[in-house]
Amino acid sequence: MWSYALRRVLMTIPTLLLVITVCYLMLHATPGGPFDTERKVSAAVMANLQAKYHLDLPLWQQYLLYLKSLLQGDLGASFRYADWSVNELVGNALPVSLAIGGGALLLSVIIGVALGIVAALRQNSLIDYFVMLVGNLGSAFPSFVIGPVLILLFAIWLSVLPAGGWNDFDPRYMVLPIALLTFINVSTIGRVMRGSLIEVLNSNFIRTARAKGLPLSTIVFRHALKPALMPVVSVLGPLAISSITSAVVTESVFSLPGLGKLIINGASNRDYTLVLGLVVLVTVFAVILNLLVDLAYAYLDPKIRY
Amino acid sequence: MKKTMTISVLAASVALGLGVSGAAFAAKIPAGTPLAAKQEIVRNNGSEAESLDPAIAESVGANNLVRDLFEGLTATDNEGRVVPGVAESWKQKDPTTWVFTLRKNAKWSDGSSVTADDFVYGIRRFLDPKTASTYATTYGAFLLNGVEAAEGKKPVSDVGVKALDKFTLEIKTPYPVAFLPEVVSNGQLGPAPKAAIDKFGKDWVKPGNMVSNGAFVLKEWQVNSKVVLAKNPQYWDNKNVQLTRVTYLPIEDGFADVKMFLSGENDWVYQLPPGTYEKYKAELPKDIRNAPMLGLRYYGLNHKDPVMKDVRVRKALSMVIDRDILAAKITADGQVPAYSAIVRGTSGADVTSYDWAKWPMAQRVAEAKKLLAAAGLKPGSKVKFSYNTSEYHKKMAIFAASEWKTKLGLNTELENMEFKVLLKKRHDGDYQIGRNGWVADYNDASTFLTLVQCGSEQNDNFNCNPKAEALIKQGNQAQNPAQRKQLLTQATKLIMDDYPMIPLLQYTVPRLVKSYVGGYTTKNPMDRYRSKDLYIIKH
Amino acid sequence: MLFRSQQKAVAEAMAANLSMAAVEGRSPWADARERFLRNKAAVVSLILLSLVVLACVFGPMLLPHSYEDTDWDAMAMAPTWYNLHLFGTDDLGRDLLVRTLIGGRISLMVGLMATIASVTIGIVWGATAGFLGGKVDTVMMRIVDMMYAVPYLLIAILMVTLLGREFYLVVLTITVFSWMDMARVVRGQTLSVKSKEFVEAARAIGVSTGSIIFRHVVPNLLGIVVIYTTVTVPGVILTESVLSFLGLGVQEPMTSWGVLIEDGTGVMETTPWMLLFPAAMLSLTLYCANYIGDGMRDALDPKDR
Repeated sequence: MWSYALRRVLMTIPTLLLVITVCYLMLHATPGGPFDTERKVSAAVMANLQAKYHLDLPLWQQYLLYLKSLLQGDLGASFRYADWSVNELVGNALPVSLAIGGGALLLSVIIGVALGIVAALRQNSLIDYFVMLVGNLGSAFPSFVIGPVLILLFAIWLSVLPAGGWNDFDPRYMVLPIALLTFINVSTIGRVMRGSLIEVLNSNFIRTARAKGLPLSTIVFRHALKPALMPVVSVLGPLAISSITSAVVTESVFSLPGLGKLIINGASNRDYTLVLGLVVLVTVFAVILNLLVDLAYAYLDPKIRY
Repeated sequence: MKKTMTISVLAASVALGLGVSGAAFAAKIPAGTPLAAKQEIVRNNGSEAESLDPAIAESVGANNLVRDLFEGLTATDNEGRVVPGVAESWKQKDPTTWVFTLRKNAKWSDGSSVTADDFVYGIRRFLDPKTASTYATTYGAFLLNGVEAAEGKKPVSDVGVKALDKFTLEIKTPYPVAFLPEVVSNGQLGPAPKAAIDKFGKDWVKPGNMVSNGAFVLKEWQVNSKVVLAKNPQYWDNKNVQLTRVTYLPIEDGFADVKMFLSGENDWVYQLPPGTYEKYKAELPKDIRNAPMLGLRYYGLNHKDPVMKDVRVRKALSMVIDRDILAAKITADGQVPAYSAIVRGTSGADVTSYDWAKWPMAQRVAEAKKLLAAAGLKPGSKVKFSYNTSEYHKKMAIFAASEWKTKLGLNTELENMEFKVLLKKRHDGDYQIGRNGWVADYNDASTFLTLVQCGSEQNDNFNCNPKAEALIKQGNQAQNPAQRKQLLTQATKLIMDDYPMIPLLQYTVPRLVKSYVGGYTTKNPMDRYRSKDLYIIKH
Repeated sequence: MLFRSQQKAVAEAMAANLSMAAVEGRSPWADARERFLRNKAAVVSLILLSLVVLACVFGPMLLPHSYEDTDWDAMAMAPTWYNLHLFGTDDLGRDLLVRTLIGGRISLMVGLMATIASVTIGIVWGATAGFLGGKVDTVMMRIVDMMYAVPYLLIAILMVTLLGREFYLVVLTITVFSWMDMARVVRGQTLSVKSKEFVEAARAIGVSTGSIIFRHVVPNLLGIVVIYTTVTVPGVILTESVLSFLGLGVQEPMTSWGVLIEDGTGVMETTPWMLLFPAAMLSLTLYCANYIGDGMRDALDPKDR
């Protein structure tokens, strides 16, 4: 298994190379450049800017230059945030995103799995319908509606929490964004958990256990939970990627300085280096998270071997 | 109307070389105003500053910060008037030579004196092609050899900026620039701290490294979160600075901005989101502020397009849009109907208008129909309108399309796109009718005329009127401001009669500012508020 | 020879029985229908959803207003009997009821088509990778990882620029963003299913790989697939509004639920009906889809009796 994990980590390199190349070409094919603004600059100034950022070189040369600096761990200078390097920008935003996204993920696993279990054990009863009604709030209403409603409720009417902003991991500023992301994730996890647990509870080995007269709690927690968690673990990879690296709506509603904001600003400003830097980050993230998911499979189902 | 007068009279008096005495011009607090013990403010700045380097700053937000951190030869106060900055007085020695006398007590935040050499260094650095400032040719155009230096055709040492002695600076212009004292209030043409820049390189603008000469110093900067400024103890006029701490927020989402204002985390909403002005005017009458500024919303008409090539079509399209309804009902935030490329309050030219602007709508429609028929554009024809996606632009576009449809029978295809895609299409002339807008860089008609002048970078209509072009050239050479004004007005009229664009509305800045923020006026046509002029009233 | 083929047939039947557990004499579809009807929430949801669809398809034809006509004298009106503006009007005086129904056509169509497309790709991709394992799995899954990193903003802008604004491109673009989650979920379940006895039985007697994947593995994943499909729907419908913001997809005056809700959110305190009605329609649809999904999962579950 360890050799499998090692091989997977090594696979990151060709994956990165491919994704960088694809995104690099896409960026340069997208209309509008980093220095196009409402006030069009003169041809001479444009030439100055391009020379400053080496955009005057042929594409392949810029590409090689980028790869070279990437090898040295340097993601380059940002165009949009002219005073900062991409390393600095990512370094500032990553902890914020990890705190919000990671916190929300943890909470939503706990709440989602619990709701799923309750609903599955009371399948097709009023309790089931009600739990799923509440659990699904986050997917039935868009986050750009829930977010402002949360602010209205807690920041303006009750004035117990700030309406937005970020203050050095001050928990008061983290409550609402985490709540919003949790809302969204709980509905996914809860639904998957419910369906999966019902399926496991109906399988032969659980029926046997029930027939033997084991108490329900033992059956659920000793025997059914592990196999039922398989699909939940599957969705955790994608959920973690979206909660941490692209919580764009949450960050915008609550004015947070996270990665999602950088991605949107980077792409809409054609900030080539910033976008590529984030692509690198998200790819590494995706590879690692999905590796963890795959290792978790082997733990949940001993028959799975790599 | 009155405002227009004061501004142009002042500009004229400055231009005539009367100079201004060195009296302090800051935070004139009305007598008897009780001040709060805590002099701190949180201002939303609309977006994250792209740079705090005065030579590189481009956006409105970045320039707001630069204005607090740095001080140029002059400054503009909270009513938009030119006041002394580091220069305590100035003289126009001859039509193209200005001499600025610097105050001897102006200091950098590290305690060293601000000298004429710091200005020479700052301006040369700004124009240097290696700095690649986006404003290099815009402001460089007002300095002798400025554009040539920015284009790398002449060394920066040839630029017409010279230190006559430690505290005297001479600036030469390529032609008489009557409004130079206002132009030099911009941070791009201000001083730069050579020692700090040499020591830290690009990182000189970071907290701890930055050396600045404005009323405030940089304390903290968290990207996309906040920039915190503190009062500068070394500032020459610091006894007239009330605020001790200024926090700038970079919130782009207007709704998030307002919510933070309502929950008390923000004293200053950058701009109210569309459709909310009437609501807050009723609910928060003490906090709502709104005033016209030097900015124009217009629709560009691409002269390369076979349909828009015809002046009759352009005129008909412009005539039938009812700006009064647009302003009163659609945008409903106090914006003013516009019929010229130049907006009210701009000095250097009078605002022109069209005869038909006063006609009843029925007459306008009848005339427009005649024009279209003569041009051979039948009802049912299609026109294409391109705009970048925003609630505001969308509403205006639907209105215009509806006017053209109901009054002229034209079917408008609305085509929305991402901002940079629209920019590319506009610059390439790959559109028919396009959403456009302009905010003045400095208070002079020439900034608006760039939108419609032959071959100008800002001219996405690709129109050209050689006669008007000659008048503008003549006006810029004129030494008498009144004569220049008359020539530029005449040129504007000529150009507008070609219908190069559809002027629609003059910008206003509808925003919420807490009633206890003193020093905020609604008489600031450039919307430039130094935190130096602000104070917190006891509340 | 004869003996071998007989043996193969028996083993295949065995595998099929184990996988679908279709041991009873009745048709599995009749069974499924009966199980579905037992879930009351699912049945009610199916009826409600049908009503929503019917209203969106036929409603605009029956109403006196057009979705594009502005009325400067009836701007931002609350729901009223006047002029039959039952949902009120938007801030340009357009009837909100007809706009909500017209928008529903777009959103339902996009939702249906893009969901089917992304679910199909996800199943095929995930099942193939999971079942084949090894190098094929590694390459296919790294492509999935990559897809998460590609900024969707760029894909959308490129689509508009290079290909235009056709409706099918909206579906295509949304599919490009949405198939990966399903692929990962399906792959995970495939890993666990492929070690089950009936798969080994089928493999032992030489059933072709393709037929094992699609006849024996995929049917056993239907439960989780149905659930995850309903998880996909809201994302798909709302992505459409992001795309229309970027110029891909519906253009004013045409609209969709996503666009209406986004416009409504901004003015929720002044003209709440602009948010309330489209949001209610969307969440009603999504809730119905969820309950129907749960019902279908129960119905398709071969072990549930």
